[in-house]
Amino acid sequence: MLSYFIKRLGLAAAIVSVAMFLLFCMIYLIPGDPASVALGPRATEEMRAALREKMGLNQPVLVQFWNFYIGAWTGDLGDEVLSGRPVTTVVLEQLPYTLALIVGGITWSVALGIPLGCWAAVSRGSWADRVVGILSVAVIAVPSFVIAIYALLIFAVELRWLPAIGAGEPGNLGDQLTHLILPSLAVGLGWVGYIARMVRASMLEVLEASHIRTARAFGLPDRTITYRYALSIAILPTVTLLGVGIGQMLSSAVFAEIVFARPGVGKLVYDAILTRNFPIVTGTVLITTVLFVLLNLLADLIIGALDPRVRSSF
Amino acid sequence: MSSIFKGDVSRRSVLAGAGALGAASLAFPHMAVSADGSVLTIRSYSDLQVLDPAFWLALPEADIMRSIYAPLVSNQQGDEWNWRPIAVENIEQLDDLTIAFKLRDNIGFTDGFGQMTADDVKFSIERIADPANESPYAGDWSALKEVEVKDNLSGLIHLKNKFVPLWTTTLPTPASCIVSRKAVEEIGGKIGSEPVAQSGQYILTEWVPKQKTVLKRNPDWAYEPGGYEEIHILPIEDPSTAELGFEAGDLDYTWTSVSSLPRLKENPPAGSVVEEKPSLAYVWLGMNHDNEALKDVRIRRAIQHAIDRQTVVDAAYFGAAAVGNGIIAPGLPGSRDSVTYDYDPDKARELLAEAGAEGMTVTLDILNQSERLTAAQVIQANLADVGITCEIKQNDSGTFWTLGSKDGDYFMNLQLVLSRFSMNPDPSWATVWFTPEQVGVWNWERFNNEEYKALHEEGLVESDPAKRDEIYKKMQGLMDESGCYVFLTHEVVGLIHKDTVNPGLKPNGEPLLPLFKPA
Repeated sequence: MLSYFIKRLGLAAAIVSVAMFLLFCMIYLIPGDPASVALGPRATEEMRAALREKMGLNQPVLVQFWNFYIGAWTGDLGDEVLSGRPVTTVVLEQLPYTLALIVGGITWSVALGIPLGCWAAVSRGSWADRVVGILSVAVIAVPSFVIAIYALLIFAVELRWLPAIGAGEPGNLGDQLTHLILPSLAVGLGWVGYIARMVRASMLEVLEASHIRTARAFGLPDRTITYRYALSIAILPTVTLLGVGIGQMLSSAVFAEIVFARPGVGKLVYDAILTRNFPIVTGTVLITTVLFVLLNLLADLIIGALDPRVRSSF
Repeated sequence: MSSIFKGDVSRRSVLAGAGALGAASLAFPHMAVSADGSVLTIRSYSDLQVLDPAFWLALPEADIMRSIYAPLVSNQQGDEWNWRPIAVENIEQLDDLTIAFKLRDNIGFTDGFGQMTADDVKFSIERIADPANESPYAGDWSALKEVEVKDNLSGLIHLKNKFVPLWTTTLPTPASCIVSRKAVEEIGGKIGSEPVAQSGQYILTEWVPKQKTVLKRNPDWAYEPGGYEEIHILPIEDPSTAELGFEAGDLDYTWTSVSSLPRLKENPPAGSVVEEKPSLAYVWLGMNHDNEALKDVRIRRAIQHAIDRQTVVDAAYFGAAAVGNGIIAPGLPGSRDSVTYDYDPDKARELLAEAGAEGMTVTLDILNQSERLTAAQVIQANLADVGITCEIKQNDSGTFWTLGSKDGDYFMNLQLVLSRFSMNPDPSWATVWFTPEQVGVWNWERFNNEEYKALHEEGLVESDPAKRDEIYKKMQGLMDESGCYVFLTHEVVGLIHKDTVNPGLKPNGEPLLPLFKPA
């Protein structure tokens, strides 16, 4: 297990390094002058030149990349150009909001997707199976921002059951959870469909396995067979799927944070791209990349721990 | 049917009911807040970054600074551009070059920085004007010679030359916000996102980045208090999100998008008031004078005649905005009732034929916003009607605002561009961007006219309103003649507030936070 862990960790470090290089290249290919955008129409040419120098934009590109690379590995992502606040602070104060959104999205997708998938599998060929199939494909097909807007219109504007904007009062957990319901639903609903389809397919395969037939022959109740013996095996591909899904949820979080005016890294990076605030863009994308790689690593380790065949094949 | 409906109430069902009630109370927290009239919740279009009167970045920061650092004067609410004293007991212009002021005698700075003095006024104004400090607002005090301290509370502001916009676009802005010399020097000369030594009607007590800024009434402010105990400012960039937030009851006041205005006016949400205010902004189609394809003035004049301005504006703003006739908004000296070119496609075709430019192709650069795209599509159709093929190029804001810069590599390829500038309530703030010095900076049409420049300088020192009116109308006439401009609209400002709120607004709808009051 240790050698498996070390190999996976090495691979994760390599992925982060490549991501950093690509990120740096992409950012410097974007047209537009950050100094002009940041300082606005009243700035003189001297002020713009001073800001470019402060941002290090006058240095050769390779020097800029080297400084960025070394800084990133030592945890120094520099300072936000205009307010002078450390980039790490700016990103880390937004990160919990996005993590809460993703955890909320995963909760919705697991809490709804797994029971629906099981129900469809045990009711194979019935109307229930067909309804779950149609609903699953429908929620997969609808983009998260459409779900976000309709959820907001129905539950916040028309019914006024839930708040429309913000993340709730700091320190008031109940208020924060209430503000999380609609955005996390928007982020997680598409994944309900994926997970339901995945669980159904896995369950159908497992329900045909010989140990399940044996359990039936022993007269165990259907509920025990389904949830204790079949689901514990059929759930494994879902863990892998969720590892990948976190990346997609991060991109859905951008829409949810804009539509629901929530703080978070998605909105932070969106604003930073528009204003060409490169230190914030690089810092945010780098930290979320590391997070994504780590979560995938965690998913791999969980699967490795659950299934010895995976460990031995790596 | 559940046991509770059958009258069979068990301990478990009571616990379940209590849990449901608790969950329901969590689900409606915002309704409790709106019942409390002491808190005003409003939207700003961006979060604060810099709360320094010399280095602020966006209008929402200016709104906050005027509330937390007492300015010498501020705008008056209403439909006329007037000012009212805030930190001063008295301020008057003694002659063209001298302004005398006397501070109120008991305005204090927070955090133990003592009383506001005339020396703080000197420090605050001169640090903006000093070129060494590189303040983007140095131009506001470009006419400043020095601030002379007479005694602890009195002083004289000496100017190098007469400067007419001083009372409209310098003093009632953050350029007259007074900061504590001692406090600012202690932190190294620049204020960041955390204010120091506050002195205004409100004090900033909480800032949660990207989420909320909280202002509370300053308990030490001895004069007219702010209308609400607390003001919560939520940064919401997207106007549609803000409108939905208002309709859901989460906001008491917000700006709206112009395109939503007709819908909201026709069908306002219950308990709300929708208002429309004249904007000072101006939107126009610009043509690059130095671009090879547009060098012939007949081609530029042809494009002026080809555009049906009324249709462009109606389509882009859903009938909510009127056609504009220049860069100076109605109500200010120099505002015009008409332009010197009509919508005349036949004339346009004739001019194109004369110039040998039939069937030409042009590009039109725009910002990627729905109103601009709609306007561009109508312009595209108008140009197609006279035989010009127009390719629309959408740009994000980071790219768009550098297109005409001489530091870039695109400014000579720029052909048509749809632009919008906001401005302050003095015509010089509109004309300044089209002077020869601004060619390749913000004058992307590269309109280069020495007479225009001379008139701009004349307007800055002319105090007779009638003569100023004449000067600025003449300047816009020169812009018409160049063929580089098709003036489209000044837009309108839409805003919506609860009927329990009496908003304090400038004539153009911008908020004056301390003047918001419960209705």
